[in-house]
Amino acid sequence: MQSTSNSVSARRRFLQKLGLLGAASALSSYTLIEVSASTAQGASAVNRWGLLIDTAKCSAGCDACVTGCNEEHGIDATGRDDTRAQWIRKIDLQDNLTGRESSLPMMCQHCASAPCVDVCPTGASFKRDDGVVLVNKHTCIGCRYCVMACPYKARSFIHETISNQKSIAPRGKGTVESCTLCVHRIDANTGQQPACAEACSKDAHDAILFGDLNNPDSEISRSLKQHKAIEVRSDLGLNTGVRYTGL
Amino acid sequence: MNNYFRCFCAVLLLVFAGSLAAVDGPVIPHGKGDQCVADTDFMRRNHMDLIVHQRDETVIKGLRDEPFSLVECVACHAQTASDGVVLRVDAEGQFCQSCHAYAAVSIDCFSCHAAVPDSTDRTLGGNPAVGAPMAHSTVPLASQPPDLKLLAQLQFYVNALAENDHAKH
Repeated sequence: MQSTSNSVSARRRFLQKLGLLGAASALSSYTLIEVSASTAQGASAVNRWGLLIDTAKCSAGCDACVTGCNEEHGIDATGRDDTRAQWIRKIDLQDNLTGRESSLPMMCQHCASAPCVDVCPTGASFKRDDGVVLVNKHTCIGCRYCVMACPYKARSFIHETISNQKSIAPRGKGTVESCTLCVHRIDANTGQQPACAEACSKDAHDAILFGDLNNPDSEISRSLKQHKAIEVRSDLGLNTGVRYTGL
Repeated sequence: MNNYFRCFCAVLLLVFAGSLAAVDGPVIPHGKGDQCVADTDFMRRNHMDLIVHQRDETVIKGLRDEPFSLVECVACHAQTASDGVVLRVDAEGQFCQSCHAYAAVSIDCFSCHAAVPDSTDRTLGGNPAVGAPMAHSTVPLASQPPDLKLLAQLQFYVNALAENDHAKH
């Protein structure tokens, strides 16, 4: 009888301790959550950033978006065009049958199922929660698998030592880079457009529209609902974040 | 006896070398403001962990409004020479390089990252290892009120680092 009551009280003490431990752990996890909630938002899957490019407004001779991008990210001319970095390039198209000409900017299409992410051996090529495809240059080994895998030829390899980088765009020899959708502007959360869209608007073309594809009320989503927009190489099923109208 | 004398000489030599090394420490240029984002001792021991942590937060999660960003390091610690040229923090005798040369630890941050603040004319940036060594700045610097949010965050980092240390041992 005595031993039974002993074991019952021991069990009770054990359960009490267990309860205390649980309370302590609940308290500590609460503190952790509070700390992380006090910091800034960062990339979130609530958003998916993308571009809508109206090729009807894009003129063949204009490269305002390219120079805007180069200026923003400090991509200076090296004098060696074969190896210079190219985050955006202008493409002029002609329909062989009808002779209809069109012009468009081509850059990283920020695919939902990005081939560059699939092939990267180190995980340096990655997709942020908000759909922006980036290269983490800290882990990029410069193997250039992603350059080969990208159907849009959007990636550039840096062949030469670079100096005078801008603080918002660290760039260096031996790594791969591409359009970041001006991720520093997105993170600043000031509603600023990417440099290419800004440059295009400045030249009064307004061919590039930036916005949140996940938000049905955003201008880009409403535009996509109204107009027929295509993905370049839609046959690959990559679900690109950059769409084109008027092609 | 001869052996004792040798031992004595060796000890003398060691003490002498030690005192030389103590005098011959790195001359580190003073940054802007009264103090760094954390205590000097803490920053000397832990800046690399803070920067690596911040690096992943920024690149992967897009958290840029954080206290330990490399851009902020450069903004405070880049010196301006008497002719108005802003010197790279990795130039000879400058903040990062002077200590890292002394400790024989090479850093690779500034082969990609800007080593001068953005407001600087980029054509004046100069190349690494061309800047003249700077003496300690004697300019009185404006004091800044303590940033409470930053201090709270720092405590969090300190705890995380301490936990990490315990986990290793």
